[in-house]
Amino acid sequence: MNPSSTLPRNPGPSWGFGFLSWAERWWPQWFFRPMLMAGTWVGLALMPAQRAHSRAYLTVVLGRAPGLGDVWRHFFAFTNVLMLSLRAGRGAPLHCTLEPENAAAFEALVSSGRPALFGTFHFGGSDLLGYLLGERGRHVSIIRLRVRNSRDTGLLGRRFSGRVSFLWINDPASLLFDLKAALEAGESLALKCDRLEFSAKSEPFRFLGARRQFPFTIYHLAILFDRPVVFCTAVPVGGEDELRVFASPVFTPDPAADREANTQAARGHFQAALAQLETLVRQHPFLWFNFLPLNPEVPPPVH
Amino acid sequence: MPDIFADRLKVLIIATLKLEGVRPEDIPDDEPLIGTPRFGLDSIDALELVLAIEKEFGVKIGSSEESRLALGSVNTLAAYLRTHPAGG
Repeated sequence: MNPSSTLPRNPGPSWGFGFLSWAERWWPQWFFRPMLMAGTWVGLALMPAQRAHSRAYLTVVLGRAPGLGDVWRHFFAFTNVLMLSLRAGRGAPLHCTLEPENAAAFEALVSSGRPALFGTFHFGGSDLLGYLLGERGRHVSIIRLRVRNSRDTGLLGRRFSGRVSFLWINDPASLLFDLKAALEAGESLALKCDRLEFSAKSEPFRFLGARRQFPFTIYHLAILFDRPVVFCTAVPVGGEDELRVFASPVFTPDPAADREANTQAARGHFQAALAQLETLVRQHPFLWFNFLPLNPEVPPPVH
Repeated sequence: MPDIFADRLKVLIIATLKLEGVRPEDIPDDEPLIGTPRFGLDSIDALELVLAIEKEFGVKIGSSEESRLALGSVNTLAAYLRTHPAGG
């Protein structure tokens, strides 16, 4: 049980998301956009912890000490994606273009109806992909952190109700059985696999020039329940409600192989998915929303 | 008198979770299995254990408060199995 008063909350005032949504709808763009940019500066000033984590991440990805303007761009990129989510939650159409690499295998999996585990990251508009899978005739359980003031999640949940439901990762008493029930009922799961908090299993992978710890739970679930895994990331197309979607290869556990062989194959698959993410992160460094400590480095194994 | 369910459970726990170097007698009857540093078991281990118990004993462990409590220790699991016969 999670009494609402004990839940974490997003930074900013409780009315913030509602106000942003209202202002975007009713204020002219020539007024709204500068106000949004100014508001991002205010957010930057009031969130020292997130600012420090952004700076630490940008130092690694840019290969230099970021200026305050870089940190603002990071915050503003997040603000823009938040506005995209709020618009999508209000019913605005979203256009997705699947990039050709791995598209055939991804389309085959999605259209097969086979329950699957859809992984993604806190990158660009990837948060929206779980909801959009519902439009492809799947029931998707989205694993999320329950927070007190998440208007975007509430709006999106209502828009896609009947096709998506939520499993709350910070409700561990029921998560275990909810996960099991969802998987046994043939539902697909959507979960983000780049933050370590609440992740039961994690392992080191090469990323941004180091071996870094990443969640690996998705593959344990895949092997336990014999479900394929695919990762998707979405890059917003500038100024449009459009997403370019990049799919990873599909990982399918081999029922004839033993647990260790499947786990080893899963490690190779996740490393490839992270390599794809790293390419996107280097192309669009402000779109990886790392306002928490960067995945910690792990020393190489001693043989 | 030894509890047949408890003994089978301990063997199953070791085999399922690949607890190397752990013997059945090393697993206490009344201590929490999950979330304590003794065996380092987490929620995914718990899920794997639930699936193995369902397969081995033919019981369904659902999301009721009763079955949540059942996962508390070997003793509570054994008690759950005694009161929930196979196929029940």
